[in-house]
Amino acid sequence: MREVGWAMVEGILAGMKPSVKEERIDFGKIHTRWNVVEEEKKLGLKPEDLVKDLMPTAEPFKSIAEAVFKGDATKVESLVNEAIKKIPAKELVDKALAPGMQAVTKLYEDGIYYLPQVMLAADAMQAGINVLEKATGGKLEKKGKVVMHVAEGDIHDLGKNLAKVFLIADGWEVVDLGRDVPVDEVVKAVEEHKPVMVTGTALMTTTMTAFPKIAQKLVEKGLNIPFVCGGGAVNEDFVQQFPLGIIGKKAHQAPKYAEAAAKKISWEEIRRRWHEIAPV
Amino acid sequence: MGLRRYTRMEYKSPDDIVFGKALYPVYERFGVQIGAGFVVPEIKVAPHAGTEKELKTFVEHHKQFTKEILDLCLQLGFKHIMIEQEHVFQQTWNKDYAYETAHAQVELAEKYYTEYGLGVTIRHTIGDIRKVEEPGGLREGEHARHMFEAFEACASAGVGDVAIETTGGKEILDWAVARGDVKGILFGIGVCGSEDMAWVWPQIVKIVTKYGTVPAGDTNCSGANTVMFLAGGLMDREVAHTVAAMARAIAGARSLVAVEAGALGPLKDCGYENPIIKAITGVPVCIECTSICACAHIDVMGNLNRAVGDVYSNESVDYHQEFGGSTAEVWTAVTGNAAALANVALQAGQEKTLRDLLTLSDKYRDPQGLILAYDNAYRIGKAITEYGKDPYLRAKYAAIEAGKIILEAYEAKKIALTRWELDSLNKALEIFNALPDDGEKFKEECIKEYYGKVPGFDPKNYGWAGK
Repeated sequence: MREVGWAMVEGILAGMKPSVKEERIDFGKIHTRWNVVEEEKKLGLKPEDLVKDLMPTAEPFKSIAEAVFKGDATKVESLVNEAIKKIPAKELVDKALAPGMQAVTKLYEDGIYYLPQVMLAADAMQAGINVLEKATGGKLEKKGKVVMHVAEGDIHDLGKNLAKVFLIADGWEVVDLGRDVPVDEVVKAVEEHKPVMVTGTALMTTTMTAFPKIAQKLVEKGLNIPFVCGGGAVNEDFVQQFPLGIIGKKAHQAPKYAEAAAKKISWEEIRRRWHEIAPV
Repeated sequence: MGLRRYTRMEYKSPDDIVFGKALYPVYERFGVQIGAGFVVPEIKVAPHAGTEKELKTFVEHHKQFTKEILDLCLQLGFKHIMIEQEHVFQQTWNKDYAYETAHAQVELAEKYYTEYGLGVTIRHTIGDIRKVEEPGGLREGEHARHMFEAFEACASAGVGDVAIETTGGKEILDWAVARGDVKGILFGIGVCGSEDMAWVWPQIVKIVTKYGTVPAGDTNCSGANTVMFLAGGLMDREVAHTVAAMARAIAGARSLVAVEAGALGPLKDCGYENPIIKAITGVPVCIECTSICACAHIDVMGNLNRAVGDVYSNESVDYHQEFGGSTAEVWTAVTGNAAALANVALQAGQEKTLRDLLTLSDKYRDPQGLILAYDNAYRIGKAITEYGKDPYLRAKYAAIEAGKIILEAYEAKKIALTRWELDSLNKALEIFNALPDDGEKFKEECIKEYYGKVPGFDPKNYGWAGK
């Protein structure tokens, strides 16, 4: 045994430098980088071609949508500044900013694009929205409101912030209560803003205990809207222990849940069919 | 207090680095030696949700699972155990919660040490509950005051060591990582994170050493782990694993600050950057990897960090019952048995065989494992010490060295990368190589770029004047 061990040591150590002995190990028989395998299937695909049908063809919508698609916030800002002189804000949203963003989101959901591409496109879209809001002196029409928060005692807000980007990009107004938000503050915000749904995130098991309390108070006030809960410690078993609770596993599910809530699909049904309504 | 910057490697060769042995072992209360020739298992249990409602139930719960752990050690014949409490918010916010839980655990540790000779050390990891957005921010805010009070409370209760996962630069990191902005990652972790640690750590050392408690270490859980967590598995599409690996190398340069300020180890486990810091400093480290911490983290490193760890940790587990017992018992058994294998290898003189098998089981599986393999961690350590006096430069060159390591392995066809991973790597190297070598200039550039754009970022939190 000892001899075998030392032979191995010799080989491995020499391999670290590197060696023939290390090359004797066929790592391909041990692990596969499945992402590399998967990518081979998609070689040759042009992302722009895959979303051609979603993108506008008439100007200036085409250029704006393409700038959003490429995540070029400066260009979007300048094009929208010019376009708003002639075209109504809502039309620019519907025919340029939204299609550009939807194209990026679709490619992300189809496993072709990556998160940074979505974020940069969302930033570019937001740059356009900011111009339009300034020009119109008020808020643009949104699909509805979503109240978001991070549980009391918890300061980890990356997940919430990512979900927020997906919601804004999809045309929702987000009321962001921030992190470490007390139970009553969440309930009050829901009463005041009347959102289609509320979200909560928590990294720790001891902070997620705020969620059942929030749900209970919402139910007592007759505010039976879906309460999408996510974050490191939160799992499906937990959210099913209290009314309104629905599991949020990935940030990109948020707009799908909001759509379902806006269609008045009950929280019970969303909970039951979440795999279908907002697949991860 | 000044920081002792590392400008040379304490280990003279990567081949000298092995699990269970450190150049500078740590001796804690109740018979526990770390890095002194054997691996110590560690167990971390997150208190069950709801027990935190009242101090009494919270303390009772801690007593209950601590006793379960210690009894299991006796049942399975283990000789040593580290029990760590990563504070929940209430524990750090309320010093009575911190003191009473720590005190209850220390009493049990003493009892089992006295009655059975079982080596037990209690670690409390204080929560970095500071908020960038509150009045006073990271340095003067109410949460900062509570954080330091919790250190004092735990040390005065007699814990063996204390640790923390400081969050300086997190607001920048969170923003940058989602956008694939590697300059922001470098600034958030390498500059803001290092600056924050240089402010926090001398205070921790001063507070806890008064009580004979070991100031152990810090990890970049809030930064590099966030990147790794977001990067996820091979099929996830959030962060390129090549970029995540570079973030980890940057974290090596950052977390080193704790040791420079007087932390003695064992360095905090969540930070997978510990192989780099052990190579530089020779202090013992806690580690975790999927084979012993799947209850909390599952990633593409199954065994690799065990190759150099002095304490094997389960990372954290929610307290509940499994078929084998409570999770406190189940995961004590897991880390205890992993440590036993390492200790047999040490006794048999086969530690380098086991170290290399553990390393090779993951080395070419993913870029993150590759750069943390002890020989490559050593290379990154050398890049850090070459620029050791400048936190920015050493972070930058740690990232560049990590990038080179990945490219070399790719070109040698030892690791496969997707086009996205390779493009992200090449682009990151191009960006890093084009950055100035003047840290002040880089900082000014970044403040100009991110202040006002990244929510919560305020240069004052890092002791820099506002824009």
